Amino acid sequence: MTKLQKRAWFELVGVVAAVAVGAIGLAVLVRLNANGIFNIVIFSVTFLVTGLVAAVSSIRFFSSFDEREKKIYIRAFVIAAGAFAAFTCFISFCVFFIVGGKSLIPVYVLPAMFLLGLFIAQFVQSTAILIQFAWEQADEQ
Amino acid sequence: MSSDRLSNQVRRLRFEHGQMTQQQLADKVGVTRQTIIAIEAGKYAPSLPLAFRIAHAFNGTIEDVFQYDNEHEESGD
Repeated sequence: MTKLQKRAWFELVGVVAAVAVGAIGLAVLVRLNANGIFNIVIFSVTFLVTGLVAAVSSIRFFSSFDEREKKIYIRAFVIAAGAFAAFTCFISFCVFFIVGGKSLIPVYVLPAMFLLGLFIAQFVQSTAILIQFAWEQADEQ
Repeated sequence: MSSDRLSNQVRRLRFEHGQMTQQQLADKVGVTRQTIIAIEAGKYAPSLPLAFRIAHAFNGTIEDVFQYDNEHEESGD
């Protein structure tokens, strides 16, 4: 298994764990009815730190790929970005049509939709990477 | 209408240079073995820097390793 394939599996497992933690955190925040500037600051700091760590980790790992692996990764990322956009659009309109344009939805639906979209995007990206490798191995045989 | 085809002699040159393995060539040019496999099978076209590094590994020119067939269908020229 190449480094990129291992990374694809790692990100797939990692995003499942992250979404699970995020969902639990969201449920706790909803239960506590967390609001206010203090919670926004806590969230912002957590978001920034997590995002920076993930970005630095991805950049460092990306630089260790060879050129073919970079192309595979970029192709998978573009597909995943498209999947995220398509899902976000689809789910938004689904909610719209399910509850009706003049109805109200709980606010926690928004971050829940976003978390689900992130999960789908990462799932698609990891799957796209693994499928591309599987195609090549099938061609070799 | 034109048909472009890039072919290579990587496999033949590997055997001519002391039965070099795919892994050895990969280590020499700084890519994975899977990339060398994909190049030899014609599934992947290397970048220009990589093509030059491969040619250099065989002490040859880029034309010794890679061939570009550009077939044009004449259409009333």
